Amino acid sequence: MTTRQQRKTVFRTAALMLACWLPLSAWGAQATGLPDWSGVWQRRGMGEAKASATGGGPAKVGERSLPPYNAEWQKKFEANAALAKEDRFPDPLSFCGIPVGYPRVLNLPDSYEFVVRPERVWILTENGPNLMRIYTDGRGHPPADLLWPTYTGDSVGHWEGDTLVFDTISIKNDGDTIFDRNGVVFSDRIQVLTRIRLTAPDTLTADVTVTDPGALTEPYKIVRQFKRIEAGARVYDYACRENNRNPIDASGKTLTLGTDGRVIDLAK
Amino acid sequence: MLRPLRSATLLLATMSIACAQVASAHHSTGMFDQAKTIKLVGTVKQFQWTNPHSWIQVDVTNEAGVKEEWSIEGNSPNQLIRLGWRPGTLKAGDTVTLLVKPMRDGAKGGMFVEITLADGTVLKQYDR
Repeated sequence: MTTRQQRKTVFRTAALMLACWLPLSAWGAQATGLPDWSGVWQRRGMGEAKASATGGGPAKVGERSLPPYNAEWQKKFEANAALAKEDRFPDPLSFCGIPVGYPRVLNLPDSYEFVVRPERVWILTENGPNLMRIYTDGRGHPPADLLWPTYTGDSVGHWEGDTLVFDTISIKNDGDTIFDRNGVVFSDRIQVLTRIRLTAPDTLTADVTVTDPGALTEPYKIVRQFKRIEAGARVYDYACRENNRNPIDASGKTLTLGTDGRVIDLAK
Repeated sequence: MLRPLRSATLLLATMSIACAQVASAHHSTGMFDQAKTIKLVGTVKQFQWTNPHSWIQVDVTNEAGVKEEWSIEGNSPNQLIRLGWRPGTLKAGDTVTLLVKPMRDGAKGGMFVEITLADGTVLKQYDR
């Protein structure tokens, strides 16, 4: 090969490499047309919402009304609320190791990550163990013989512009999870429609509509918001069993242990 | 030493902090008296930088001159680190002043609201 031919070959190879590299370098959430939900997020508002009134109307961020229960579930809620007032309404979260279930996953005190890919979205919570997988590859829910109630249920969705819309079914509920420490629970017939979108550059808003023909007379709506925290923030380990000094006794009461494992509470 | 807060201004300030944050990550906070804030001055016996809660074991001399160990509960490391805490913030032997929501039943335990270190540094448990 002459020097001229060699130069030509080198030039062609370089041009080919450049042509291949350019699209790859542009690859990412933006290149897919999907929104940028990168970084670390924290829920706005603290803890369980304070129920102020009955009704299923849209709630303000960090607040909400009580679910529109049917008569049977209103009684169940009131019994739970009475226990909660005595501080004896056990929260499965306190047992360490059990997922909180959906949609309570959107109401955790620690940080969140939202991983967006064309075929799937993951919601990763720092307060574990909780993880939501939302399929956006066009599949539907599994057939009935492949469904059984689980903590996170089965979520399938799609994108409407910059809004992630997903439907969650087959969620474990009353007896396994609670929605709120003030006594709110749902039945195993719960179905949740969630719409998440950026409503400001660093604000994600989730509009959640709970339908539950077993427990509710009409849909129950909740709004959750998440704020993106400083760039480069890390997410940390959260192993609830590491040093759990607040076990729950058989009556549902939360105990406090000393460093030697003995109960320090004076009240029985 | 252990004494109730006497300054109305300080009490209001600490109540406003507490009212904004009555919920806890891992369990009900019903055992803590949210309407009451006490001040504990003592010596750190142990600092547990652990999940689901951090704990400050602090020796406090009561009004009768007897040393008592208190178990003071705080948030998990992931939350505290974002508020400026570090695993090495407290060491055994450090003198600290704690503002605490005490246990309702009078047990020697509580949830801390704020801590002042020997060098005057003030750290909180919540940023709200």
